[in-house]
Amino acid sequence: MLLRGLTWLIVFQLLGSGLSVLLLPFLPGPIIGMVLLVLFLCLRGETGESLDMAASGLLKYLPLILVPPAVGVMAYGREIAADATAIMIALLLSFVLTLPLCGWLMQKLIRRQRNAESGR
Amino acid sequence: MIGNLHGAWQAVAGHPLFLLGLTLGAYQLGLALYERTRMAVFHPVLVSVAILVVLLSLLGFEYAVYREAVWPLVILLGPATVALAVPLYLNLRRIRLYFWPVVLTILLGGLFATVITLLIAWALGADLMMLMTLAPKSVTSPIAMLVAEQIGGIPELAAVFVMFTGVLGPLFGPWLLRKCKITEPAAWGMAMGMTAHAVGTSRAIEEGEEQGAFSALAMSLLGAATALLLPLGVTLWLALA
Repeated sequence: MLLRGLTWLIVFQLLGSGLSVLLLPFLPGPIIGMVLLVLFLCLRGETGESLDMAASGLLKYLPLILVPPAVGVMAYGREIAADATAIMIALLLSFVLTLPLCGWLMQKLIRRQRNAESGR
Repeated sequence: MIGNLHGAWQAVAGHPLFLLGLTLGAYQLGLALYERTRMAVFHPVLVSVAILVVLLSLLGFEYAVYREAVWPLVILLGPATVALAVPLYLNLRRIRLYFWPVVLTILLGGLFATVITLLIAWALGADLMMLMTLAPKSVTSPIAMLVAEQIGGIPELAAVFVMFTGVLGPLFGPWLLRKCKITEPAAWGMAMGMTAHAVGTSRAIEEGEEQGAFSALAMSLLGAATALLLPLGVTLWLALA
């Protein structure tokens, strides 16, 4: 079951990689694979046991899978050091501005929708 | 005896499984530390990366050698990215209740997050490569890495910026949202999921079911929207500039 789900994931990734070269060079292969799989699931109307199993199994270990690429920072010490202050300030400031804005916007839109519905 | 010890060490450190074992060990150490303390700053990925960077430098391993050795893990990143389709599909079912609020907040909020990050970093003198690495920092790592690579940034650095941003979520998010009087559970969750991806979502689940659900939805949708629109936007912008 797990193997069948994994096979589907790999098939969709390969499909995405092929399409990326053929038609959509500005999108990475796995992203196209992800979008194709979402469309496939929408058509199918359910995720199915094998896909469910493979996806939740893989995603459970996603943090571990992300460790090797993140260790790559050690190869970019010079680039980070050059821009360290700018990077930290940009990340922090952007977070502090974006978080309340997203919350405020969503809250405003929810309340407007609710008022419109109760007004009807 | 000493010669044997040296030989034994060579056999261990030179073994094809040595670096994979080191990675698994460091990850479990990070996980244990996080579970013991429950503190966001001890994000398992950040802790294990710190341990590994120190150990690899001490033992004299280059990143290229390390990457080659842990290839079995690296190759899983693609299928794991495709697997994000499953939670995205499941989360999409929740969107019906607040369709337009969710869509507008994702598009406008996501655009704002990207533009403001780029503007601040640019004003502080970051170069183009660093800007392209910072641009996808709000979305989940596998997507951020692919997008960064696509638009000319450094995927390895993008992964670390994403983790750093994620940690800010539980650290300052709840306090900031309270100060700004964001009380609607759906809005609370959306804000966390859009700015702190998976790390914010796990905090939102602690806050309540609706917060958790909308945080997961926001994270999935913003990831997909960023993956599709950011490379397109950068391509158009570079074509015009």
